[in-house]
Amino acid sequence: MTLLDVTSPGNVSVVLFFGTIGMLALTIGLIVFIIFHQRKVIRYQMKLQKMEQDQQKLLLNASIRLQEEERQRIAADLHDDAGPLLATARLYLNENLVNLDKTTQLQSIYNAKQIIDDTIQLIRNISHSLMPPTLKNFGLESAVNDLFQKISGSGSMNASSRFHDYRERLQAENELIIFRVIQELVNNILKHSNASFIHLTQNTSGNKFFIRLHHDGRGITQNDFNKLNKSNVGLGLKNIQSRLKVLHGKIFFEKDMSQTYYKVTIELVKEEEDKLQEQE
Amino acid sequence: MLVVTYLAYFAEILPIVFYLIFLKRNKGEGLWVIFLYCVLSLLTEGIYALTQEALVFSSFIAVQFGLFTYYFYSTFKAKRFKYIAVIGAVVFCVVAISIFSKEHFNWNVESLAAILVIIYCILSLYEQIRDPETMFVYHNKKFWVIIALFIYFSSTFFLYLYSTALSDEERHTYWVINNSFEILKNILFSVSFIMKKHEITPANMEYIDN
Repeated sequence: MTLLDVTSPGNVSVVLFFGTIGMLALTIGLIVFIIFHQRKVIRYQMKLQKMEQDQQKLLLNASIRLQEEERQRIAADLHDDAGPLLATARLYLNENLVNLDKTTQLQSIYNAKQIIDDTIQLIRNISHSLMPPTLKNFGLESAVNDLFQKISGSGSMNASSRFHDYRERLQAENELIIFRVIQELVNNILKHSNASFIHLTQNTSGNKFFIRLHHDGRGITQNDFNKLNKSNVGLGLKNIQSRLKVLHGKIFFEKDMSQTYYKVTIELVKEEEDKLQEQE
Repeated sequence: MLVVTYLAYFAEILPIVFYLIFLKRNKGEGLWVIFLYCVLSLLTEGIYALTQEALVFSSFIAVQFGLFTYYFYSTFKAKRFKYIAVIGAVVFCVVAISIFSKEHFNWNVESLAAILVIIYCILSLYEQIRDPETMFVYHNKKFWVIIALFIYFSSTFFLYLYSTALSDEERHTYWVINNSFEILKNILFSVSFIMKKHEITPANMEYIDN
């Protein structure tokens, strides 16, 4: 039975009129809905894009500020330590020109030599803080072990590290980035957590590379990390985030299952490394 | 009523003229199918006025549906939608052949064609809003063609459906609906042929942002 059969002849005009109006209203309604829905979706996408841009801006600012702080630190080290040392050495050498007494001359040359040795050591320290030689020569594993030994050696904290699967070294610049992230995390733990131990483990799973840090002090969770990342404080954390962004890596802050320890996990994709190498 | 009829005839020329004027803008968009439909529609009106043969009209409906199916088939991106267009064409052929008559025009065929075109239009609009490359649907030539067909066929669907039940006089009275939406359809086709291809610019982005 069709619609036509059930419509009485007298009602055809009414059905035709309302049917046409109804169909037209539905069609126009659908078109208007599509247009507004699409605009809504685009607005939402643009909002997301803007949020991402703001986040990137924050990270960039943090990275610039950190760079400036680093420069200021180096400038201060050179000005406050190396400067006076070299000036003193110059004084001793000047005295050497004025004073003709042989013994005094030898003494002042000896003093100048001592000061120059100190200056060399100081400059070496500055250079090592910029690029640890262990990292450059022996890789991430040795550099991290070295760092942890130094921390343990200070006696304030028990620090240990274990690399389970690090037969092939990552690219030098990527190792440096990871090392800086670890340094920053360890620094934060030392400064804020009041922990008695830090333990670092490295392992891989498939094409993923993991570094996990455990400590028993006060830590932060992922929520805290996200909040700090969006605020103007937490420069070090922003720096970690921007460094990991270069490696397309992720970082997770959480409490251990036992709720006793805080855990930080750095996750990197090994393929990214290969791709980066191919691009180069 | 007579004015609307003459306006409808005049409106049929508009998309043909604009397509030819802005031939360069409409290249590579598959709009030649719509242009061909407009030309055939105009020719059919002329030939039918001279011969009064139902066969002319029946043939035109079949060719018209074939052209629309081809247009949608070539513009659909999703394979499943292409299959739907093919299935629609098969269904239409089976029904049209089974109820074909040389003597009189069967309005049910036109109703079926209208339903199928409406379905194609809905699928096409759905595909457009899901397409991440489409910034604004209304900046797309295809969008205007689709809404022209969508509005025309959904508005005239009931007219075609009840045409069999109407006397010649009644049909003549109600034919103003067809003529009115024919004008709107041709205007929308013209808009599609006239409009430039839009690109996403920062100005566009700001516009949507506000």
